[in-house]
Amino acid sequence: MRACLRFAPMIGSREGELPAEEARSLAAHLSECPSCRALSAEAAVLEGLVSEALLAKAAARDFSPFVDLVLSRVERTPARRSLWPRATALPRSTPARGRGLARPFLALLARNWKLATAFAVALVAAASVFMYVHRDNGEPEEIASLEIDLEGGDTVLQTSDGPVVLFAPDESGS
Amino acid sequence: MDGDDLALVERAKSGETDAFRALVVRYQRKVYAVALGIVKDPDLAWDVAQDVFVRAHRGLEGFKGESSFFTWLFRIATHVAIDSVRKERGAQRDDVDEVRECDLVDAGEGILATGLGSDPSDTLLRRELGLRIASALATLPEKHRTILVLREVEGLSYEELADRLGIHKGTVMSRLFHARRKMQAALRPYAGTRSARRRDGGDGE
Repeated sequence: MRACLRFAPMIGSREGELPAEEARSLAAHLSECPSCRALSAEAAVLEGLVSEALLAKAAARDFSPFVDLVLSRVERTPARRSLWPRATALPRSTPARGRGLARPFLALLARNWKLATAFAVALVAAASVFMYVHRDNGEPEEIASLEIDLEGGDTVLQTSDGPVVLFAPDESGS
Repeated sequence: MDGDDLALVERAKSGETDAFRALVVRYQRKVYAVALGIVKDPDLAWDVAQDVFVRAHRGLEGFKGESSFFTWLFRIATHVAIDSVRKERGAQRDDVDEVRECDLVDAGEGILATGLGSDPSDTLLRRELGLRIASALATLPEKHRTILVLREVEGLSYEELADRLGIHKGTVMSRLFHARRKMQAALRPYAGTRSARRRDGGDGE
């Protein structure tokens, strides 16, 4: 039985797929093990049947609309989904470059909700920092360090009183 | 065929729709057959096959001809079909791949082979078994269906299967063993009945 455990997975291998030594050992085992010979015969029966059956199903199906369905989907699908708008979409010699950049950026935000959310979170964080620094009629409190740490999804403001977590990951919706 | 494919791919890359159309027509049935074997459902397989060609078209620029177009296309087909099954049914129980003693129980019965008698090319039985193959295949877990379809329909070698599925060659061999055993078990009731009919001379052949 131990030998069968070793050789059973090799049954059904094609010529050249096993190292020569393994192939010889398998052949020797098959010659003396009726149980593995039966497994080998079963594998031989199945050989080709799956392919024949599936290709017969495919042959029986009407494929006349298939290629047009594919091509219409190809036409509807953009060639490659890009994070950034294609440069060719913008005229190269736009005089008002500032306006030219704002429009695709807003369009990008409209298409990408994650980026839009991150942008909104960054805006709120910036506003919070500004309000924290300018509270009490704009008299800034003494702050040992002002550092925003975005690592790990947290937005942390380092102050002289210690770190202040402005946004935890689940609050920012990410 | 390969050189012809590459010429069509180059023309399709330069925007010739007719060239891409020719590639679709050439491989649509085989892609569908692979998808059907993996996803089981004919309508889902139809959608998957379309998706494969849409993705292939989208990725044509990235096809450098390092493998044949056929290999590249079927690599896409495998991934799309497996993704589709996993989306439909969620994660499935992961059957073990190694071969254990209990897997060899009844190994010596050889009912399918007995059903074919002394003529392994018995076309009638093969045709009748063939009619039941798709439903027998549908009873297998996704990973066993997939490996059997890739082996049988695409004709991939152990090495190619290991590469395509991201598993070791040893796992390929044991997984194929389990897949075949399950197929044999699913076909056994029918083959056993027919074998008995042959013995009784009831086939009328």
